[in-house]
Amino acid sequence: MKAIQAEDLCYTYEDGTVALDHITFAAEQGKVTGILGANGAGKSTLFLSLNGVLTPRSGKVLLGGQPVRYDKKGLLELRRRVGIVFQDPDDQLFSADVYRDVSFGGVNLGLPAEEVRRRVEDALERTGVSHLRDKPTHALSYGQKKRVAIAGVLVMEPEVLILDEPTAGLDPQGVSDIMKLLTRLRDELGMTVLIATHDMDIVPLYCDYAYLLGGGKVLMEGTPEQLFADPAALRANHLRLPRIAHLMEVLRDVDGLDADRSAATIGAARREILRMLKEENQ
Amino acid sequence: MGTDRYAYQSCLRRVSPLPKLLLTVVALVICLCCDSVAVGIATLILMGVLITALGGLSPRVYLHFLKVPLIFLVIGCLTIVAGAYPAGTAVVAAIPVGDSLWGFTADGLWLGGRIFCKALGAVGCMYFLALNTPVTDLTMALGKLHVPKLLVELMELIYRFIFVLAETAANIRTAQDSRLGYRGFRRSVSSLGMLASMVFLRAWRKAERIYTALESRGYTGGLTTLNDAYRPGWGLLPLAVLTAAGQIAIWFVEGRLLG
Repeated sequence: MKAIQAEDLCYTYEDGTVALDHITFAAEQGKVTGILGANGAGKSTLFLSLNGVLTPRSGKVLLGGQPVRYDKKGLLELRRRVGIVFQDPDDQLFSADVYRDVSFGGVNLGLPAEEVRRRVEDALERTGVSHLRDKPTHALSYGQKKRVAIAGVLVMEPEVLILDEPTAGLDPQGVSDIMKLLTRLRDELGMTVLIATHDMDIVPLYCDYAYLLGGGKVLMEGTPEQLFADPAALRANHLRLPRIAHLMEVLRDVDGLDADRSAATIGAARREILRMLKEENQ
Repeated sequence: MGTDRYAYQSCLRRVSPLPKLLLTVVALVICLCCDSVAVGIATLILMGVLITALGGLSPRVYLHFLKVPLIFLVIGCLTIVAGAYPAGTAVVAAIPVGDSLWGFTADGLWLGGRIFCKALGAVGCMYFLALNTPVTDLTMALGKLHVPKLLVELMELIYRFIFVLAETAANIRTAQDSRLGYRGFRRSVSSLGMLASMVFLRAWRKAERIYTALESRGYTGGLTTLNDAYRPGWGLLPLAVLTAAGQIAIWFVEGRLLG
């Protein structure tokens, strides 16, 4: 089932920049979908359109198969069901108190106080920041702020969670922690996760499906393996293959080995190398 | 924001801000109304005891925090105490300058002393609030006391983004400094001007992004949030009464002694 779809979505900024040019895409329910693209490819504009912050010039957004309405009620409903985590947590955390910031979205939904409290506790627990509730926002590290920002969106219990560059600026441990958190949300809650990224190494590990965006258009779509089969298109868009897939490409094109170029994770590469060694020995 | 760090560590942090605010305001009003040396000093000491005994702050830190306003107070009171008087006035100490005497009179000293002690007591009261209550709790309490919502929300946003802007400014300054932007007076002035305009521009852009982020979380014109559970802190109310009684008692005793 498609959780969220865009059909022929177009958006032009006031200065005439075409940010989205007939974008059609769909994110499968309970999957992690990656939106790949260079800076300025239109990822952020697409995300803001999916959450109703920007109203598309033409085309439509479908949520659970139903077209989104842009009146007040429709927008509130859309924002409840689709949550965005912005790239810079300092743009999102407006309160100096962690607990109060997280509660904001829940209060806006008009829920009773006990329900908001339950959800805040749940969100703090899930993102692993319960112990930070006594600290002011400005005393948190960048990674901790990022988690609090995610908790602030989870409190609305969205069906679709959108993250703009979730791994930017984090240390390797932080990247792995955030991505594991997202996989848990997908597996335990069946949440649909959309991530915009140009961190290519996380794509084969965590994305079930991916789109390549460039110049406001969808240039390619498929499983990560399908996308990595066309490295030229990635490179033309200022991206690259994941390091491991690149190694496989070199083994194949330079060394003439029978390596599968779509082996982009350590596990897949290991299997591939063992297979080649075995064939060599025979 | 030195006091804020201690407010988050205070034993009274989780106590509802309302009784804390009440204790502060009552003690503050009495201290200001009595207008006496003894009550001022007593308030300062009482607040010190409350801050260290209830809040768990070390007395050293409290004394350290008193140093900052002390400098302002000394300078401020000196200008009240010292003055030019016509020749022949009964002065305590003075030097003749032309036709007049420059120095202190007994009345002036007494007035300066009263203002100094009164202000010091008031500072003690404010420290009780500031060292035990995070700003976000305080604004929440103001909201509950029906201070206009717009004001309260502005205070909250300003407080949060002071830190973000300060960090931005510090980063720009480091970047300028690393390229020798602060060598020499002329260059420093021009760099500082650039920094100010950059901070302003970034604040402008940031405001737009924050608005977008708020909107995506269902912002419809109000920054209503829920606070983490407070302890009611009714125990502070008898303490507030005791403090007030102590202040007034000292005021009476002082009045008796001075006849």
